[in-house]
Amino acid sequence: MKLNIEGLLVYFPYDYIYPEQYSYMLELKRTLDAKGHGVLEMPSGTGKTISLLSLILAYQKAYPLEITKLIYCSRTVPEIEKVVEELRKLIEFHCKETGEANNFLALALSSRKNLCIHPEVSALRIGKEVDGKCHSLTASYIRAQRLSDPSLPSCRFYEGFDAIGRQVPLPPGVYNLDDLKEFGQKKGWCPYFLARQAILHANIVVYSYHYLLDPKIADLVSKELTKKAVVVFDEAHNIDNVCIDSMSVNITRRTLDRCTSNVETLQTTIQRIKETDAAKLKEEYRRLVEGLKEANVARVTDVYLGNPVLPAEVLQEAVPGSIRTAEHFVGFLKRFLEYLKSRLRVHHVVQESAPQFLKDIFQKVCIDRKPLRFCAERLRSLLRTLEISDLTDFSAITLISNFATLVSTYSQGFTIIIEPFEDRTPSIANPVLHFSCMDPSIAIKPVFERFQSVIITSGTLSPLDIYPKILDFRPVTVASFTMTLARTCLCPLIVGRGNDQVALSSKFETREDFAVIRNYGNLLLEMSGVVPDGIVAFFTSYMYMENIVASWYEQGILENIQRNKLIFIETPDAAETSMALEKYQEACENGRGAILLSVARGKVSEGIDFVHHFGRAVIMFGVPYVYTQSRILKARLEYLRDQFQIRENDFLTFDAMRHAAQCVGRVIRGKTDYGLMIFADKRYARADKRGKLPRWIQEHISDGSLNLTVDETVQMSKHFLRQMAQPFRQEDQLGLSLLTIEQLESEEMLKKISQMAHQA
Amino acid sequence: MDEEPERAKRWEGGYERTWEVLKEDEFGSLKATVEEILFQSKRKRALESHGQVRLGMMRHLYVVIDSSRTMEDMDLRPNRLKATLKLMEAFVEEYFDQNPISQVGLITTKNKRAEKLTELAGNPKKHLAALKKARDAACVGEPSLYNSLNLAMQTLKHMPGHTSREIVVIFSSLTTCDPANIYELIKTLKSLKIRVSVIGLSAEVRVCTVLTRETGGTYHVCLDESHFKELLMFHVKPPPANAQSECSLIRMGFPQHTIASMCDQDSKPSFSMSHLDSTSEVGLSLGGYFCPQCHAKHTELPVECKICGLTLVSAPHLARSFHHLFPLEAFRETPLEELPADRFCHACQGKLKDKIVFTCPFCSGVFCTECDLFIHDSLHCCPSCINSQHSN
Repeated sequence: MKLNIEGLLVYFPYDYIYPEQYSYMLELKRTLDAKGHGVLEMPSGTGKTISLLSLILAYQKAYPLEITKLIYCSRTVPEIEKVVEELRKLIEFHCKETGEANNFLALALSSRKNLCIHPEVSALRIGKEVDGKCHSLTASYIRAQRLSDPSLPSCRFYEGFDAIGRQVPLPPGVYNLDDLKEFGQKKGWCPYFLARQAILHANIVVYSYHYLLDPKIADLVSKELTKKAVVVFDEAHNIDNVCIDSMSVNITRRTLDRCTSNVETLQTTIQRIKETDAAKLKEEYRRLVEGLKEANVARVTDVYLGNPVLPAEVLQEAVPGSIRTAEHFVGFLKRFLEYLKSRLRVHHVVQESAPQFLKDIFQKVCIDRKPLRFCAERLRSLLRTLEISDLTDFSAITLISNFATLVSTYSQGFTIIIEPFEDRTPSIANPVLHFSCMDPSIAIKPVFERFQSVIITSGTLSPLDIYPKILDFRPVTVASFTMTLARTCLCPLIVGRGNDQVALSSKFETREDFAVIRNYGNLLLEMSGVVPDGIVAFFTSYMYMENIVASWYEQGILENIQRNKLIFIETPDAAETSMALEKYQEACENGRGAILLSVARGKVSEGIDFVHHFGRAVIMFGVPYVYTQSRILKARLEYLRDQFQIRENDFLTFDAMRHAAQCVGRVIRGKTDYGLMIFADKRYARADKRGKLPRWIQEHISDGSLNLTVDETVQMSKHFLRQMAQPFRQEDQLGLSLLTIEQLESEEMLKKISQMAHQA
Repeated sequence: MDEEPERAKRWEGGYERTWEVLKEDEFGSLKATVEEILFQSKRKRALESHGQVRLGMMRHLYVVIDSSRTMEDMDLRPNRLKATLKLMEAFVEEYFDQNPISQVGLITTKNKRAEKLTELAGNPKKHLAALKKARDAACVGEPSLYNSLNLAMQTLKHMPGHTSREIVVIFSSLTTCDPANIYELIKTLKSLKIRVSVIGLSAEVRVCTVLTRETGGTYHVCLDESHFKELLMFHVKPPPANAQSECSLIRMGFPQHTIASMCDQDSKPSFSMSHLDSTSEVGLSLGGYFCPQCHAKHTELPVECKICGLTLVSAPHLARSFHHLFPLEAFRETPLEELPADRFCHACQGKLKDKIVFTCPFCSGVFCTECDLFIHDSLHCCPSCINSQHSN
């Protein structure tokens, strides 16, 4: 259908539209008009992706000078593929309606591992190996050497791409990863490099977060993307953690050992080159004296996306003399390594700030702040000069040099924690140096600064105001949309008491309480007798789950549950978990029924959807607070309090509730789906917890379902499930939660929709 | 009906009220709740089934009754099993009333096994007796959908192609314990054209959804006793005949009831065939129905002759089943305002109050909602059409 969104003609490839999609597009358009950033929350299964795509595509068509590119960031490869499929549908529809040939180029980008078509290289399984092997075939100096010695192996796809593909732009169309591979096969061009080249002029790019947020990758891939772009982060409820992870460095003894061997390799290579080709090193020296002018010019003229690992000040200056020659630099690295080793030899926990660390390093081994800052850049230059083909081996030393640069650049926002052992195993020495980023805004800042509009969207972003705070940006629109439903297909219940009136809670004091555990068991047992097919239960941590399950086993509760359903358990082992998941789905499919016991923040809670019968109920045992004794967390909380005036408790609750919402959100994956959401903890009834749930869940929690006993829960669930089992067809939705174009354009509905946006 | 006050007394009543609160949401748009949808679907169902479709006249139906542990649940009064059996009795009677030349059999499943309560037979008495007996049986273990479907299939697959093969499962449990992959069985059922319908007593179970969707049956979950009854009675009406079902001529016997008097010299008391296997009563009698082919005596009709296998029916039986072949067309819905001043229902003579009335497409008789349902569900002919025929 064709929609008119405040004067913009939007082609929408479906015959029906949800009211909230219309409202979402309205808000999105306003954000784009204002050239600002936005935070938008809309429940999963309401067609967020297609709304986003169709509006932005329409915008691009209508104002080609305002927005030239859409960068759509998603989390996993399957999600990327899904987005591309929606896009394909949209563009086909667009062409059909307008009768024009498509002139849009849209493609997905992923790692070499997913795109390589070289028969030997692509047979490797691990991403790093593929990267390394590819590099050893395609690096520029290898290819230069091949000119003199044609016997060296080569990649014919890369050669093909380099010979012809570089000049020929990818024809317009929609390319997912397989399409790219097929195209590459046909032409004999490397799909990976083709895609990397093509994203520069593509209209729509779909790739993973890391290509924008991780400074190491972003520098390679996304540096030259145009400024007039819209960046969308989908499923962005964890974006702060992604940012933090991409900037944090953990150094163990193993890392240092590998570094040592790296340094030795460097040294021998330098020695060899010195004997054979001393001019090369001189040339490098000369370049370093001139400084990083090139990079500086680029940044000043705003050609590139900023890189947080390459601080602005560094660009102004030349590389300091003490590390300019290769031998000196290697010596410098050695000293630095020795220092780190000595720091790891501690017997008690040390926590210090970056300036403290710098002071200490100066006193002990006389390393200044300035050379440290240039470390990352200097290493990169050295590796380039030495023509070392297999870069994967040097990941350890790259890590250390990045750490050196970061620690000397940012005096705030980072903390250094050295732990001699893990908390759980105090007898085994396993020293780790955590260089932990506490400020997610550092990693994402270049993105906000560079791109015209950044949209952060997810099914669960509540409370909305906290994201702008912790990511340090000023959005022009902040909105939350609810699901309009023809029938109330979700049923959130808060169970606060057992049948014996014992308060249910996972809080620390009552964690070991026998009565609480028994009542939890009772709840699961009763629910297993009422809920058909699949139930997913989430615990706050693996340890807590182990304790409870062991206790249930002793009390015979497990045995009783197994009369109703089979039980599967998520473990930290990925292979085991995927096996359990597979069997779980099989049991749901053939009517045996199953329960999956899993952990909030685990793999299941984030990535797996439990559509329809795979999840008819989800039970959240306790509030999934993060492990509060962790030093990294404590440091971060402190930082948040000092820098952003966010109280520790507020952040912890926010974090717990967003994970709880993620967990329970797994069951509702669309309007025809239905599911129970059971919050089994008294604390959920409190306003501060309840208020932080997404609005689309919150509005279905009635006062009557705040502090239920197990029995009451069972009764309500029974009733709910019966109601939901009644036949439900598309016609029942029409006009209420599903609109045709005529219905949408009626006065009354438009008014209702505009109200929806106001409530946000 | 005394069911209504009873329902209000139940302590679960409180929860039902919370549901009603949800109806009055502040968004006007959210008003249509499940109940409204239900009413709509009821109307739809009535409309759909009244299309000019040929319905199966001879039916073979197995009813599978779940007797697992969950049947002891008290959410139907007095418990699920007793409520089910009580409704089943009514069902069996109604079934034979509407489909006199059809057959029914009963299967129960518990403890992972399936067991035949009665074989396929056209005589309600045996079924009723079996149902009465089943009341005292204990509900234990888990049901097995696979075993019970398999058991029913073994008999049904030998039934002739011109008759319908149906299974109705009354399923209370949420799990099933199967010895093999049930999806294979579903494929077989589909290929044998056996239609499986399920009435769930607790909630929607995936495997039943697939089962009914694949075999062309219906799947409903009951809300309470009255809804349960409605769902069960829905199966009294034969389903539309399969388009590919064979048409064949069948031999039928129409035996006359001979009433012999004691004074008649020729008559001798003889055993009736139906009494041969029942040991309880002594079956010597004078009169009965004599098979026109082999002269075996039967006491009741319709029946398949024990000796020569001829189907024995009486003419009225056939006539009763006949309306399934020519179902009454659905009446037109018209708003009340369009009607002239004379606003009375042509059937019950009551004043028309509803906003929508129903008009017969042939004689333009006007009926109220209740009469419309009654005419289509039980009467199967338009009273005002017949009236006008007579007057002509």
